[in-house]
Amino acid sequence: MIATTSTATPTDWADAFARASNDDPEIQAHGKYFTCSYLLDMGERTFVVEVSRGKVVAVAVDPGPLEVSYQFALRASADTWRNFGVPVPAPMYHGIWSASFQRDLKLEGDVLVLMQNLRCFTRQFELLRTVGVPV
Amino acid sequence: MSRISPVTGHYVDVDVDGLLYKVFYLENGQGQPLVCQHTAGCHNHQWRGLLEDGEVTKDYRVIAYDLPRHGKSDPPENTQWWTQEYQLSADHYANFIVALVDALELENPIFMGSSFGGNVALQLAHRRPDRFAGVIPVEGADYSPGFYLDWWQHPHANAAQVCASGVWDLMAPQSPEADRWKTWFYYSQGSEAFKGDLYFYSVDHDLRDKLGEIDGDRCPVVMLTGDYDYLTTPEDSARTAGQIKGGEFIEMKGIGHFPMSENHSVFRTYLLQALALLQSKSRVVDAV
Repeated sequence: MIATTSTATPTDWADAFARASNDDPEIQAHGKYFTCSYLLDMGERTFVVEVSRGKVVAVAVDPGPLEVSYQFALRASADTWRNFGVPVPAPMYHGIWSASFQRDLKLEGDVLVLMQNLRCFTRQFELLRTVGVPV
Repeated sequence: MSRISPVTGHYVDVDVDGLLYKVFYLENGQGQPLVCQHTAGCHNHQWRGLLEDGEVTKDYRVIAYDLPRHGKSDPPENTQWWTQEYQLSADHYANFIVALVDALELENPIFMGSSFGGNVALQLAHRRPDRFAGVIPVEGADYSPGFYLDWWQHPHANAAQVCASGVWDLMAPQSPEADRWKTWFYYSQGSEAFKGDLYFYSVDHDLRDKLGEIDGDRCPVVMLTGDYDYLTTPEDSARTAGQIKGGEFIEMKGIGHFPMSENHSVFRTYLLQALALLQSKSRVVDAV
């Protein structure tokens, strides 16, 4: 697995994240119906990830207004994302629930879609610990 | 040669508030009873490490029960419970635990519970300091709003997975992966009770103006909370213990909201401290 740093280009990061997810045994074992699209708002960068039947099929990098649709969004400061993207996150940066209850992460949009895909999404989010974040 | 665990299971009938329950419990050890409550929406396997921890069971009779509607303890035997929404009240929860220790004829039991079990430990210290030799609230606080959510039972999502993955990051990333996944697995089994349990946890449990009434000299209170717990933080528990007469708080490092289940080997070091502290406070009480 490739550990990227803030010096990696956003496109490199998008490729590494997609590859990590598509090679992940857990997601591939349980992702038959893992289908959704979501926005990662990292303050300095935004990405829209599209997942279809367990595979990341597209990652839009810094999409312009109205360019790409998505079902739900995770928004937080770049600093929070940097805290997610380490092998062992500090307390309150160790998941989307902890960071939304205790830090500045916002879960927006159709949260039902997030809940419907929560098992695989939770694993996918933790891939940031090995892939890193591009901010 | 087969290995057969010394842990045994039993059922006991409990009659409380007009409801009849057949309650399952696991036990091991000899000595002062240490009665253990699992977390909301879960069952007594969360205490699997403690039940086989010889350093504890040589001095304590560890009893880990399944609250009715959890694990092997069925809903009430004498009502059409399926016609009502389950919402656990502080009154019924506390009454049930007292009825259970009475049914088992336990003398000087210590009560320990985690999360909604930690909160009810505070309720017991407040309501019945005469019946318990002390309480160890784990991941507990005077008030813990915010988790009584419809998502736990939303019919358009997979409730088992929402409950299990929804509590995933209540655990610390350092905790052994296999133990975190066991805890996840338990949570996938309890979605029907989880939300109703959280009615107690986040709504009916509120001791904010009553902590001063808890006599921690009569019923010692030693609280334990992990630093990865976002729901009941160490600050919440410290604030709570600080308002209880004689209340104690120990922060646990590198562990989360299900300490006994996600990482018993770390939890036990803090538990042994808590038990020693509780016993020293009990001796002071006895000497007065």
